[in-house]
Amino acid sequence: MIKSFSDDLPIVDIVKATKVYPPDIIAVQNVSLAVGKGELVFLTGMSGAGKTTLLKMVCCIEQPTKGVIEVAGHDLSRIRQTEIQKLRRQIGVVYQDFKILPKQTVYENIAIPMEVMYRSPKEIRKRVDQLLETLRITHKRNIQTAKLSRGEQQRVAIARAAANEPPLILADEPTGNLDSEVSGYVMELFKQLNNAGSTIIIATHDESIYRKSRHRKVELQHGLFSGHVGHRQLPLINA
Amino acid sequence: MGHKTYFHIKQTGRNLRHNWPTQLMTVMTISLSVLIFSFFLLIYLNIVNAGNRLGDELRLIVYLNEEVAPEVKQMYENKIREFGKVERIEFISRAEAFARLGRQLDTEKDVLADLGPDFLPPSIEVYPRRSMRNLTSLKQFSDYLTTLPAAQKVQYGRSWVERFGYFIELLRVIVILSGVLLVMATVFMVSYTIRLTVVAKEEELAVLRLVGADNKFIQTPLLIEGVLQGVIGSACGILLLYLIFRWTTGHLSGPGFLNMLDFAFFPPKTTAIIAGTSVLLCAGGSLISIRKFMRI
Repeated sequence: MIKSFSDDLPIVDIVKATKVYPPDIIAVQNVSLAVGKGELVFLTGMSGAGKTTLLKMVCCIEQPTKGVIEVAGHDLSRIRQTEIQKLRRQIGVVYQDFKILPKQTVYENIAIPMEVMYRSPKEIRKRVDQLLETLRITHKRNIQTAKLSRGEQQRVAIARAAANEPPLILADEPTGNLDSEVSGYVMELFKQLNNAGSTIIIATHDESIYRKSRHRKVELQHGLFSGHVGHRQLPLINA
Repeated sequence: MGHKTYFHIKQTGRNLRHNWPTQLMTVMTISLSVLIFSFFLLIYLNIVNAGNRLGDELRLIVYLNEEVAPEVKQMYENKIREFGKVERIEFISRAEAFARLGRQLDTEKDVLADLGPDFLPPSIEVYPRRSMRNLTSLKQFSDYLTTLPAAQKVQYGRSWVERFGYFIELLRVIVILSGVLLVMATVFMVSYTIRLTVVAKEEELAVLRLVGADNKFIQTPLLIEGVLQGVIGSACGILLLYLIFRWTTGHLSGPGFLNMLDFAFFPPKTTAIIAGTSVLLCAGGSLISIRKFMRI
């Protein structure tokens, strides 16, 4: 049985995690980070700093070489396959390469996570239309995503991650292909989700989206945390 | 209809749309296999039925040297029944044989005018039961009957029975071979099509896994796809056979081979069994592919 995302535990608890890719490329080294329920955390750092790897480990795409990663109290190295499926339904992920289906329409792509949870078609229609409106792509509703610009594809990926209003959202460079105006809409959506209770981790090197933010920022440099800035003092160490 | 069923059917529709040329080829192969198998099965069953009807007339005739006296008839009957089960036994006297021949010759019976009523031998006609109507049993029974007192010769249309037996045996082999063809073609084609669907949808399946789709969400549409192929394929195959049957019986009616056979189509139960088996085979093929090519 999958545990629920409760208030008393950090939603994401990374303890001394290291990821080494063969032959000996260190992506993340000895990193610890705890993110509490309802937090919005900016994971910053240059390209290649290890942000994507860290997020991949949190959503069970990669396994850490060393250390422990817990999500909602589950040790991801010991979790069963069926539990991974259940856990993934609780996590919305915006992938850097979007991972949207080019032959399917904008609507179909956004609907996928809700279909997987067998939500009612009426509910799905309503939610998709709401997201399309928020991200200003209603006019692209029935167009195949292959025919969209990179920026529009990115918005589809963001909408898909937000579709189920999941307790945890991981966004990898969500504004990488967007102009400042659209980046504003995206950040507005993340704030809405955060205010509604979702925990959000945004990996980005776009300073404009976190510079004036009051939320916690943690910086990765060459696989190591270089320090942290923010008001919430949850454990964060390079052990 | 629950949401689960709705999404499984929707997903099946997507699979069929994306991969329709392969789906069409598979349905055609299944139809053809069902057609070939059921065609031979139809011929076989009709010939076996005709054989059974003709077999009702099958008898062993024991020609005797002399008439059987009424008081020893029972002894003969007992001796015959000692060997095996018989439907009935008829004693034919010389006079009865002569009268029967006269009836058979009908308008030509004048040819018998110069012959005396005693020129035909008396005989015993033995009608064996259905279980005894195979070549080996008939041979053994015939050998046994030659040992009866006053038995001169035993006849039972041996060459006809032999040829019919071989023909039925050949048909049985053809039916079995076409059945094997049906099984192999159906399972292989369905499993191959599902495999192609899995390969074509690799990207989509990866995304489904990333958003937490459970095994049922991914596998059920593929299973439905296989079952649908079986339903449509077998229905087309049987329908095609029925049309061929109607055309053949319509164009080859009148006195002839088909009329002699009293050719009939499958009863609904047999049709349902053929269709049901094809659907099960398709579901099996689909399952094989799902288990073999999908890592969830």
